Formats: sequence, C-alpha cells, structure tokens
Amino acid sequence: MRPGSRSLAIQCLTLIGWLQTLCLPRENIMSNGVGTLSLQKKVSATLFAVMAAFGLLTYLILNAVVTPAFDNLENNAAQTDLIRAQRAIQADLEKLKSNTGDWSPWDDAHAYARGENPAFISINADIPTLINLDLNLMLFYALDGKRLWGQLVHNGEGADLASLGALEEGSPLTERLTAHSSIESVKAGLLLTDLGPLMICSMPILKTGEVGPIAGTIIMARFLDDARVSRLSEQTEVDFTAYLIADAKADTARPLKALTDGDGNHIYHETTNTEIMSYGLLNDVFGEPFIVLQAKTPKEISALGGHTVKGTLLFLVLAGLLIAVVAWVFLRREIVLPLEGLASHIVGIRRSGDLSQRLNETRSDEIGALANEFDKMTREVHKARQLLLDQSFKAGKADTAAEVLHNIRNTMTPLINSIERLSKSFTVTSGLRIKDATEQLADPACPVDRKGKLLQYIDASFDHIESVGTDATGDLEIASKQARQVEGILAGQEKHANVEPVFEVLDLDEVVDEAAHVLPESESAELQVSIEAEVGQHRVRAHRVGLLQVMGNLILNAYESIQRSQSDSGEIRVVASSETVDEQPMVRLTVRDTGCGFDDNIRQKIFQRGYTSKQGHMTGLGLHWCANALAGMGGRIQAESTGFGHGAEFHVLLPSARGG
Amino acid sequence: MLIADDDEHVLECYREAFEESEPTDYVKAINALAAELFDPETDLEEAPKFEVVACNQGDDAITLATEAADKGKPFDVVILDVRMPPGIDGVEAGSRIRKLDPDVQIVFVTGFSDVPRDELARRVPPPMKLHYFNKPLSFLQLAKDVANMVNGL
Repeated sequence: MRPGSRSLAIQCLTLIGWLQTLCLPRENIMSNGVGTLSLQKKVSATLFAVMAAFGLLTYLILNAVVTPAFDNLENNAAQTDLIRAQRAIQADLEKLKSNTGDWSPWDDAHAYARGENPAFISINADIPTLINLDLNLMLFYALDGKRLWGQLVHNGEGADLASLGALEEGSPLTERLTAHSSIESVKAGLLLTDLGPLMICSMPILKTGEVGPIAGTIIMARFLDDARVSRLSEQTEVDFTAYLIADAKADTARPLKALTDGDGNHIYHETTNTEIMSYGLLNDVFGEPFIVLQAKTPKEISALGGHTVKGTLLFLVLAGLLIAVVAWVFLRREIVLPLEGLASHIVGIRRSGDLSQRLNETRSDEIGALANEFDKMTREVHKARQLLLDQSFKAGKADTAAEVLHNIRNTMTPLINSIERLSKSFTVTSGLRIKDATEQLADPACPVDRKGKLLQYIDASFDHIESVGTDATGDLEIASKQARQVEGILAGQEKHANVEPVFEVLDLDEVVDEAAHVLPESESAELQVSIEAEVGQHRVRAHRVGLLQVMGNLILNAYESIQRSQSDSGEIRVVASSETVDEQPMVRLTVRDTGCGFDDNIRQKIFQRGYTSKQGHMTGLGLHWCANALAGMGGRIQAESTGFGHGAEFHVLLPSARGG
Repeated sequence: MLIADDDEHVLECYREAFEESEPTDYVKAINALAAELFDPETDLEEAPKFEVVACNQGDDAITLATEAADKGKPFDVVILDVRMPPGIDGVEAGSRIRKLDPDVQIVFVTGFSDVPRDELARRVPPPMKLHYFNKPLSFLQLAKDVANMVNGL
C-alpha cells in the first residue's frame, strides 16, 4: 500500500472508532431504560458506516488494481524509451557501416591501396567530403597494416590524427581493427579516444562488385559527442544521455554496478518523484562495456493514473453520498417516521390506557397494513374490555344481589313462621266463646252446675289467652331479631356500595348513542320525540356504566317530561363543549328538552333524595343517584329551567380526557 | 316426610308446621268444656300432620331415603333445600332419590333462583311429582299444598 492510502485508511478507521464511541454510550443509556437509540440514528449511523466502508474499499481497489496498472504502463514506456535510445545509436552506427560499405568495394580505392592510383585521395577524399558524409575520421591502410592516408575532422576543421590518442600506426588496437580475414569482414562499434567516444567502422578494401583480393582496410568514424546525442534525442523524442564508463560519476556508479553485476538485467530503473531513469549499457567495438545510456521518462502516465484514481474516487464518493442522502431521506420518510409514529402511538396508548385512539393510516404498504392491523386489534381489545367491564359489573351486581336475596330470604323464613304462629294462636283465641259463656253466666236461669263449668271454661280460656300472649311475646322477639338480621345484611351491603369503579377514557358520541337506547322505539303515533346529539369529538374520563346510567336517566327524564307536557311532539338535544373549571379541563354535556320544565322552587329540591316531579310510583332516586354518581367521577350536575312549560336543561360537567 | 335443609331454624319451622303436637292442658280442658257447653261446630280446623324425618345435608337425605325404602316404608314427600353447602346440592340429591323411588313427591325449596326450572324438570322427572317453593316460605301454605298433593295420590 502507498503511504497516502495508508494514512487515509487510518483516518477512516479513526472515524469509525469515533462513530462507535458516539453510539455506544447511548446504547448503554438504553439498557438502563432511560433513553433509546432511535431507529433514525441507527439508520444514519449504518448509512454512514456503509458509506465509509464503501469509500475505503473503493480506494483500496483503485490502489491495488488501477494504480499498479498505470505504473506498469509507465515502466514499460520507460523501458521502450531506453531501447529507442539504444536503437537510435545503433541506427547511426548502421548508417556509418553503410557509408563505409559504399567506399570499400571500389576499384579506384583498391588500386590506391595497392599503390597503383596515387591520385585517388586528391580526387575523392578531402575535408569537405568528410563533412558532407557527416564523418569525423577516414583512414586507409595497406594490406601490411601501413597507414596510407588519414584525415581527422574535429569541430568542423581538419585536425591532427595524433590528437585522438588512439589508432596509432602499429598499435595492437589498430592491428586488431585493420585485420580482416575475409571479404565479408566488418568491424563496427564504439571506441574511446582522447577527443571522445567514436563510432567506428572498419571494412576490407575490395574491387567493385565486392570481389577480392583484399587490398587493405578502410576505416570511417564519427564522434558520439553531446551534439550527436542531443540530435538523436530530438529525433527519437527520448531524453537520453551517454556517460562513459571510464569517467563514471557518482550518479551512474549505482546503475553501472547493477547492470554489470551480471544478474541478466539489461535495463535498470530508478524512480524519482517526477521521472523514471532507465539505464542500459553500450559495448565498445570489442564487446566490452563502454557507455552507460541514461533515458529519462517523465512520470506523466502515473500522474494521469493518479488523477484518474482521484477523479474516480471523488465521483464514487459523491455518488455514494448522493445515494446515502436519498436512501436516508427515503428511509426516514417512508419507514423511520411512520414507525416512530406507530411506536409513540403504542406508548401513548400504554401510558393513557385509552384504547379508543386510532392511527387511521392510509398507506397501502406493509407499514400501513401493520398500522391498520394494530387499529383493528386495539378496536377489538377496546370492545372486549368494555364488554368485560360491563359483564364484570353486571356479574358483580348479580352475584351481590343473589347473595343478599338468599340471606334475606333465609332470614325471613323464621320471621314469617313466627308471624304465622302468632296469627294461628290468635285464630285459636278468636274461636274461644268467652262472650257466650259470660252471657249465659249472667242469665239468672242458668243452673248452678252449668255456671260452675262456664266459670271453669272462662278460667281455662284466660289461662290459654295468657299462654298465647306469652308465646306471642316470644314470637315477636324472634321476629324482631330476624328483622334486625335483615337490617344487618343490608348494612353489610352498604360498605360494598363504595367500591371504586373503573375509570376509562370515553367518547361522548358513543356514550350518548348507547344511552339514547333507553328511549322507547316509536312509542306512539301521537308523541314524536326527536333526539339530536352534537357532542363532536369530546372525550371524558369516567366510569362507563355509571355515565351510561346517568345519561340514560337524563334522556328518559327528558322524554317523560315531554310526555307530561301533553304536547304531541318534542325534542331532546344533547350538546357538548369544552371549558376550564378551576384550571382543570372539563367537558360540559347539556341535555335540553322541550318538556314541561320546572320553577325555581323545584330546581332547589330536584337533586334531593326522595324528590320526584312524577306522579305515582317513582321514588325520586334517579337524579339524586345521578348527582352522587357524577360526584364520584369528579364531575357534577346542574338543572336549569325558565319555568313551567319552557323545557329544561341538565348540565353534566366531567373531567376532560384531553391530552391523555 | 323427609326434609333436608342446612338451616337448623328452618328445620325447626318445618317440624312445627308438619309434626303432630300434643295439645296443652288448657286446650284439652277448653275443648272438653266447649264440647259439653256449646255446639260442636266450634271445633278448630287443624292442618294435616306428618311423621317428619329431618336432616341438613343432601347425602344424609339420600341415606335416609334408601333406608326407608329398604324397610318397605318409603317417604310420601321429600322436601329439599337446593343449596346445602358443603355437600351435594338439593337437585343432585333429588335426582338420586327419584331413581330410588319413582313415586315420591319431591318439593324443591330455595332462596336462589339460579337453577332453571326446566333443568330441574329434566334432572328430576316426572313434572307431575315435582314441586317448587321459593323462600321466604309460608309454612301454613306449604303444609296445605303438601296435604293436597298427598291426598291427590
């Protein structure tokens, strides 16, 4: 991995670590039940982590695949550059060989070498000819190795051959160069001289048509000087330099060592920030390493690769960010917010216990289905709870009533028996004929012995009456005891009458609707009573069965009041409104009728126990009970009427269930 | 007559209503003198009397009914309270007694109306020999009705 990518990876890991530290304490809080890591934060954190991982992965892949490919391409280009430089010199040498090859098989030259054409030089070889042929040196040798003629051109002028410091007549080097064993022999290559490296070509002098015998040797050469190197560099468009091994400098020592160590590599590269240095060797005419060729290739390809990687990364990161933002917005709008709404709805229901709340979700997807199913479930649970409350209330009442009746009846059996015995005893005493006996006794004509028996009868009768009286006292005591027992049973019930009823949140429209069932269905054709309820969405916290009974009572009272008003039609209106009483939100429920109404005198007594405005059987428990029941629910009731014949209004105030 | 009721006071009332009681001396003397001094039409009407066997559990009632049947002297009338905790209820006892004796008149007395009459009729047939009285009882009335059903035999 490159240093740059490593630091970026470290940055990414640091960022992920930071994210974790950001998230973890919140999860700890959640485990304590104090706070929660919301879905939205989880989604955001996940998207961010995915984005970071995506960016890192992209960067790593680009670095592992794309960047090396560019580097490889660049190394290949550098190698090609060096080879092109080598070939350029080689091509120059080939041109020299071609020039030499033009002159060597020539009858005139052949004759000159054999000493038969002394004018050859003056006719064909002079300095302008050399310059024209782009040569710096031309030499003719006889077969015996004797130099016949030679000309050196240096810096565009003729120069002394001795200044070369090489190719002296009779030197071993010269002998090696001029010795040609066959007519095809060619010796070409580089040679070191005092004036610089020389490209040199030696060929045997033949007759025209390349036929022998060999008459001598012709040598042509040109300097591989800086000007030639730069010209070749221009031609090849490769920036290269030739360094003589002989005067190797410090900066070529390392490549030279690498190239001459003989590990088979013919090319050595060195890389700087801006360019690749490729090094290769050029041998001299005898095959010995002679020149180090250095080609410089600017690192344009890897720079392009770097730009490509950066551009791609930038594009991918931006695309990823865009996708993440879109995904975040979508998830938030379509999933997170609806789920949060659902969750807060459920929490709201749990906290308030108000099962009448609904989500009423209109979406048709899975969340919509979930919300609708939840609504259905709460509706069913709500119904079941109401049913259960009603049933338990009724069952409780029924059980209590049955138990009380059983006890009272059992107690009353001996009581009735005592009374029957009393009745029977007195029936017996009423059959006594004391009156007849006293009348006969008063009759002077009554015989004495009969009088005695009559007295006995009267005496026995009084004894019997006394005995019956004693028994009756006992029976009455028993009856009295049993009566007290009945009273005790009833007193025992009274303490259960104050059992706390279950309070719940009630929709008034449902309560009023249900309570209105107390009205007789199309009672008669002559009395038309319409009931109209406008209670809106008001909700109260109350005991359901109790409130149902109160409302049923008020609606029935209103109906009966209309009946008593002798009118053939009437109207009952039930309306609701919100108000604040003693800083507490309340709901005012008004039952208004067009019945017979009442005066102020009645209004003051209307909620008293035992009061009734109805004729006959009613006990007046209704409104008294209603007032008590409402007080038990934290509410109250008021009655209003502007007088007889003007209808009446009953106001029920109950605590509002607004705000859970 | 077999009577089963878990309330001892109520059993006492049954005994008083149905058992023959020895008249007091005053009553005997008065009756004797009245018969001698006045017309015979003054005789006081008396309710019919029974030989009463009482118990306060359903199981005891079944045992007593079984014993009586074994002796060849079955009860004419069985009066059963419906609820007699902690043992079996009157309906169950009546059902078993009915199996022992198809002819006996069975009277159910209860302060509870929790066992529907059609269920009673189904468990203790036939309807002609099944009677119901609700508490609180008028023993005089009960005595008259029981006398009528026995006489109707």
